[in-house]
Amino acid sequence: MIDETRIIAQLKDKSQREKAFNTLVHEYQEVLYWQIRRLVITHDDADDVLQNTFIKAWMALDEFRAESKISTWLFRIAINESLSFLEKKKRSTDIISGTDDYLRNQLLADPYFDGDETQALLLEAINQLPEKQKAVFNLKYFQEMKYEDMSQIMGTSIGALKASYHHAVKKITDFFQQND
Amino acid sequence: MSEIMNEEKLIMDRFGNENHFRVPDNYFNEFPQRVLKRIEHQRRRRRIIHWSIAAMLTGCVLGTSFLMNSVKQQDLPFEADNNQYIEDALDYSMINNMEIATYLTEAE
Repeated sequence: MIDETRIIAQLKDKSQREKAFNTLVHEYQEVLYWQIRRLVITHDDADDVLQNTFIKAWMALDEFRAESKISTWLFRIAINESLSFLEKKKRSTDIISGTDDYLRNQLLADPYFDGDETQALLLEAINQLPEKQKAVFNLKYFQEMKYEDMSQIMGTSIGALKASYHHAVKKITDFFQQND
Repeated sequence: MSEIMNEEKLIMDRFGNENHFRVPDNYFNEFPQRVLKRIEHQRRRRRIIHWSIAAMLTGCVLGTSFLMNSVKQQDLPFEADNNQYIEDALDYSMINNMEIATYLTEAE
């Protein structure tokens, strides 16, 4: 666990900035990677989005006012980057729309996925959700994140997040009923 | 509400919430180095852009003063419009106002 106050002071000091940023990358790369990976699915895409997340953070360091925690700020950038990546990808191809079992087969052939057909089915069900709902479901279901923290990251009210999560659960259950 | 909780439990019982994604060996050991390299590359690119804009602006100023001097020396029969020369010189330099504004802001 890093000392937030110390790392923020180091990030503001240009002579210590690079070293402090390196610490930040080491500390948060894994947790951000898994969040991004669940949204974009493939390792190569997750790697691209994670790099872009840290580059955006580096370029915005002067604007970071420390009103939120560093982890919240980084999560926000990572989710925004993932969602705009998915938006761009959706525009160029409709493969990701999840209307068939393309994703399931892709996952089962992926060397960096060790789940079975049941787990691939869950990811396929999640993949048919609207992008923001997908992010909310992943944060709550896999990371067991509190709505309060999620609200800061997503910039959405707790009530709206709860509604979004419930819609997501309902849609996923409906998906299983149709596909079982 | 309880219906949703039941449905959530059904999903959890059937699928769990374990992470089944994996990464290539050493991925997290090598990642920080790759990011720092990309940041350095971006910095170098920005530095080149700054220097190019600075060089172009210097060229514009020198070119304009040279043009103005030669107009004076030729003692033209008509009154030269200095503003027009500056505008023309800036047009030919192909730098748009946004780039000049960005450069001046960053130079501060």
